[in-house]
Amino acid sequence: MHADTSSVEPRALIIEDETLIAEELRVRLSRLGFSVIAAVGSGEEGVAIATRERPDLVLMDIRLNGNKDGVQAAKEIREQVDVPIVYLTAHSDRPTVDRANKTDHDGFILKPFLRRELQSTIEVAMQRHAIRTKAKIQ
Amino acid sequence: MSLPATSPRSFVPSRFLNRQLFAIVVGSSLTIVTFIFWPKLAGWLLSSNFLPHAYCYLRNPGLIWTNVTADALIGISYLAISVTLGYLGYKGRRDIPYHGMFLAFGLFILGCGGTHFVEAITVWIPVYVLSAAVKVFTAVVSLTTAAVLPFTVPHVFDLICQAKTTEQRTAELCASEERKNALLQEVHHRVKNNLAVICSLFYLQSTHSKDEETAQIFRDMENRVHSMALVHESLYGSENLARIDFAQYAQGLAQDILASHGRPTVPVCLKTELEPVTMGADLAVPCGLILNELVSNAFKHGFPKERGGEIKLTLRNDPSGSCTLCVQDTGVGIPAGLDVNTSQSLGLKLVLLLTQQIRGSFELIKSDPGTSAFLYFKVNHHAC
Repeated sequence: MHADTSSVEPRALIIEDETLIAEELRVRLSRLGFSVIAAVGSGEEGVAIATRERPDLVLMDIRLNGNKDGVQAAKEIREQVDVPIVYLTAHSDRPTVDRANKTDHDGFILKPFLRRELQSTIEVAMQRHAIRTKAKIQ
Repeated sequence: MSLPATSPRSFVPSRFLNRQLFAIVVGSSLTIVTFIFWPKLAGWLLSSNFLPHAYCYLRNPGLIWTNVTADALIGISYLAISVTLGYLGYKGRRDIPYHGMFLAFGLFILGCGGTHFVEAITVWIPVYVLSAAVKVFTAVVSLTTAAVLPFTVPHVFDLICQAKTTEQRTAELCASEERKNALLQEVHHRVKNNLAVICSLFYLQSTHSKDEETAQIFRDMENRVHSMALVHESLYGSENLARIDFAQYAQGLAQDILASHGRPTVPVCLKTELEPVTMGADLAVPCGLILNELVSNAFKHGFPKERGGEIKLTLRNDPSGSCTLCVQDTGVGIPAGLDVNTSQSLGLKLVLLLTQQIRGSFELIKSDPGTSAFLYFKVNHHAC
């Protein structure tokens, strides 16, 4: 993964309530060159860690443990930290996708298509974010 | 004057029209015959040896024209209203209960209109006998309508109640249908999620395997479960929650299998030519598992290390429901003397068992170059 030009590995945060799927994501992200700082199952924890650690990428499940769902958590993170967020969900029904699309995010992966889309979606998300950051500096 | 019909549906349109025509013809004939045999009646009815109304108005033009205009306008309006009511009562006689009441109101208002027209005429022509006759007719019709109307009130309330109940039932039905769909979606979601967790388990185990052969076994298992999970994903996303678009599914599955074998250095391309076919989960799951084995086999055995090429996926569907699924590769080809039925390969064994389950047939042919696998099966278009 060459999304970050510095020699330091980009840091990723996984917010996913199925721990086994989270673990698979951790392994896959490591193989793509990320260092996974944490994998948590609730929106509240996710927001806390994201604002404290300021990761380079957030993978966000929409259905989560706790009172906060992924769409709400993503909104709160984006209000405080400028970080690319990629939604990750098994909800392919239209209303959920529409609701998630209304919030600011950089990509969308449906869980069963993980393998096909994980790498390309993350690459696009990181690039979009890099371009946005550059535009802001200029 | 027709009494309120107890059963509006008992009127057959042609019979109803005939009855009306019959009444008009009989009425007109009786009138004409009466006037022919009793000419004095007509003379009496139209007798005008009285003073016209204009005398009462002292021939004041303002008063005369105000009265005549007002009477004419009222008459025209009453005529228009009665025509509308008559049309409504006639057109809606099968759907509007008590449509007879509409006809009664129409006739009554027609009578009222008539009295105003005659009123306008008697300003100059003093046909007071005709005027009295029209008023008597209107009085009879009004009285009958007034007498019958109260009896229909309870029925009208009944109808309102029925309409309200129907509305409520419809709303309940819609809500129950929505609940059923939400439940079905939830079931598909859970099944898919559990299958996704099983896939994760196999993936994680494959990354912890000591040797490549063991890792491959777990990757194969992951792909098999993944092909089933994709069926539920497709069902979940589909409109009717019962059938999936197999062409779309096959395309996605084949891409996933290639991605899981991922060998970026030597490209094996995927080409697809898929005709749309929809099927239920009972058929899609075995077909998906078969497709998974065929594409995986083509990739694993057809393209050993450092050999590139192409895997072509074709799906044909004829209107009778006969489907042909074909996986062709440009790989090294099957070993000479390979008998599908006695092969020790688990993949081929699964293909044969599942083919038997869907009552299809299967053949594996050495083509030049590579191998072609054909699966023939039937899709029931009406099953859900």
